[in-house]
Amino acid sequence: MKLVLGIILAATLSAQGVTYERIVNALHEQQNWLTYFGDYGAMRYRDLKQITTANVKDLRVEWMFQTGQTGAFQTVPLVVDGVMYISAANGQAFALDARSGRQLWMYRHTFPSSEKIAQQPNRGMAILGDRVFMVTTDAHLIALDARTGKLVWQAEMAPYKKGQYFATLAPLAVKDKIIVGISGGELGIRGFIDAYDASTGKRAWRFWTVPSKDQPGGDTWLADSWQQGGGATWMTGTFDPKLNTLFWGVGNASPDLYGAGRLGDNLYTCSLVALDPDTGKLKWHYQFTPHDTHDWDANEVPMLLDLNWKGRQRKLVVQANRNAFFYVLDRETGEFLLGKPFGRQTWAKEIDSKGRPVLMPNTEPSPEGTHLCPGLGGATNWMAPTYNPETKLFYFSVREQCDVYFSSPPVYVEGKLYWGSAFRGSTEEKEWGLLKALDPLTGETKWDFRYVRAPWAGTLSTAGGLIFTGDEDGYFLAFDARTGKDLWRMNTGNNHLVSAPITFMVAGRQYVSMPSGAVLLTFALPQSK
Amino acid sequence: MRFPLLCTLLVCAAALRAQSPADIAEGKATFRSNCAFCHGLTGTGGRGPALNTGHFLHGSTDEELKNVVRNGVPGTTMPAFELLQPDDIDKVVIFIRSLSQGSGGSAAVAGDASLGRQVYERNGCSGCHRIGSEGSVFGPDLTRVGAGRPLDYLRESIVNPSADVPDEFAGVTVVLRDGKRIRGIRINEDTFSVQLRETSQNFRMFQKSEVKEVIHETLSMMPAYTKLAAADLQNLLAYLSSLREGSTGGGVRKPEEIR
Repeated sequence: MKLVLGIILAATLSAQGVTYERIVNALHEQQNWLTYFGDYGAMRYRDLKQITTANVKDLRVEWMFQTGQTGAFQTVPLVVDGVMYISAANGQAFALDARSGRQLWMYRHTFPSSEKIAQQPNRGMAILGDRVFMVTTDAHLIALDARTGKLVWQAEMAPYKKGQYFATLAPLAVKDKIIVGISGGELGIRGFIDAYDASTGKRAWRFWTVPSKDQPGGDTWLADSWQQGGGATWMTGTFDPKLNTLFWGVGNASPDLYGAGRLGDNLYTCSLVALDPDTGKLKWHYQFTPHDTHDWDANEVPMLLDLNWKGRQRKLVVQANRNAFFYVLDRETGEFLLGKPFGRQTWAKEIDSKGRPVLMPNTEPSPEGTHLCPGLGGATNWMAPTYNPETKLFYFSVREQCDVYFSSPPVYVEGKLYWGSAFRGSTEEKEWGLLKALDPLTGETKWDFRYVRAPWAGTLSTAGGLIFTGDEDGYFLAFDARTGKDLWRMNTGNNHLVSAPITFMVAGRQYVSMPSGAVLLTFALPQSK
Repeated sequence: MRFPLLCTLLVCAAALRAQSPADIAEGKATFRSNCAFCHGLTGTGGRGPALNTGHFLHGSTDEELKNVVRNGVPGTTMPAFELLQPDDIDKVVIFIRSLSQGSGGSAAVAGDASLGRQVYERNGCSGCHRIGSEGSVFGPDLTRVGAGRPLDYLRESIVNPSADVPDEFAGVTVVLRDGKRIRGIRINEDTFSVQLRETSQNFRMFQKSEVKEVIHETLSMMPAYTKLAAADLQNLLAYLSSLREGSTGGGVRKPEEIR
């Protein structure tokens, strides 16, 4: 009788679906993971402490799920009341029993042709009500019935043409809308952020990340260069329900490495934009790298923190940027508060009091090649950071790597890469990497753990005193959040860990999940018999 | 009449395009930023094979050359240039072709290759290197080194091997807790472990937490042969340059051969 009651209870819960209110209060459901970042603010911290610094040494693989697709499997799962939702690289989505990894349903997107367009990654899903949402590499946003995996609607974000717009990010559900961004920053696109009606798939608004000539900011582009200006929006943004503001990172200007044809600051590339989620109207913007010529996208996670800033409680947005500076802004106004290097950089003397970088000489890519740090991959990138409110530290993966940047005038050809030449690794010294713990109030490093290679994995922190992350040799790792000591590791057998771990609870047991290669690995402590 | 004429002109244009100076220049620009680092600015080679001799290691038709650029060469340091567009690759190949024009194939190397072989044997080179099925797997395989390396690079590799140590032959010394030192070629390494090959050709594998120190050698594991007589060196170079056609095991045996 007890068993039957349990099933009915579970069924009732999932039938209610995930309301907007539940997402706003996602941190009241510590057992679940309701958005790409776990909640709107992207702190990626969970008050779960079954797995601790003391017992993490016993952590072991509980189950694995094989997607059957190697490479580009970069999902961050959602977990809702024991059900896990994941996407895979080839337009596939799965619902799983989060305790056993057993499949509940599978969806496979129908691509317009047999072209090899499925190879780009997919980074995850959004859930709202009884629907889950994902984008596809042919630049569609699709809504699936969370109970069956059946297609409810699909919306074309941009007409798909090979070598132009595509989409990879996890959508963000805000109120009754699904917010998405677009990829193609190396293809001469003009970027945008879109909102779609969650019930119908009808587009509610579009914010162009590159303004046209007659719009504000249009004068920051030479001639017609804005038309292929780039400004991709390939990572999920964050949202403050109280301020009713979306925060979204914007990618590089295009062509990436050749700037002479697009003189000017090139707004809103390499910027953070604050938008009204109801209308898509710009509230403020801050540009980290004006007139970028090194592919230093600002798509890194804009994390929302409420901290005591110099004696006053302030609503902040922080970002460890690809250009090697850690930034703190006031998220109500966009006011620049702090910009401090966290890794090796040879491009800026400082960020001045107004928030504008003061450049070093000779930083532009050149026909002969210009050596500059950080490299094109950035001193960090889209891998998610985490903030632990107990240690009050910001943790993230740092890439210590420089490049030689080449440049030559490119010709825009629709459907072709639009780099403006090339780059290659510096040979003067080998790359290395760090897991870094930083005080977000000062930008000072509290501790570092050094890796042999520059990592691409995101981070997670828990009340068990742990940081979970991965390195570029395939190790999934647990660190002591206070000391930086490596406490546990497992070689997952794929050299490139690129997603971010999550943690959740089902039936009183804590789990940790991380994709590697074609596999979703889920870990737990051994159960006492 | 107008249309056929136009078509003829187009055909001519297409044929000319295959070798136009503009294509060569574009190919050169792509080459400079993508290939020159290993193959040298003018394709004379370096860490990567020379591309100006008219000899190519992995097939010499245009299609084979494009395939090498597009997909790389598994088991070597030649990466796949997946980001290059098809016509960029076409132009790079046109540029590479232009490098060997007039070279008339391989330039003759002064010296006596058969005497050079004796120098090779006398100096115990096979204690570390392999030619065909003879010698050690410790150092670089020399079976086809003459096709892959220009003469200057070969000379430098003998008299000053530390001038360029390829990553896959970097030396490592592991200091054990009892002070014993194990030297070898680094096969693999991550933050927590390191795997070497000793001169005995055996694998040695360590957890870093279990040893005292891991030292990355900046010098080559190969001794510098600075005391070779000039004639010996020249003959040795002639011998190494002659190593072009041997099998490194990559060939496919046809059924009739196996039978």
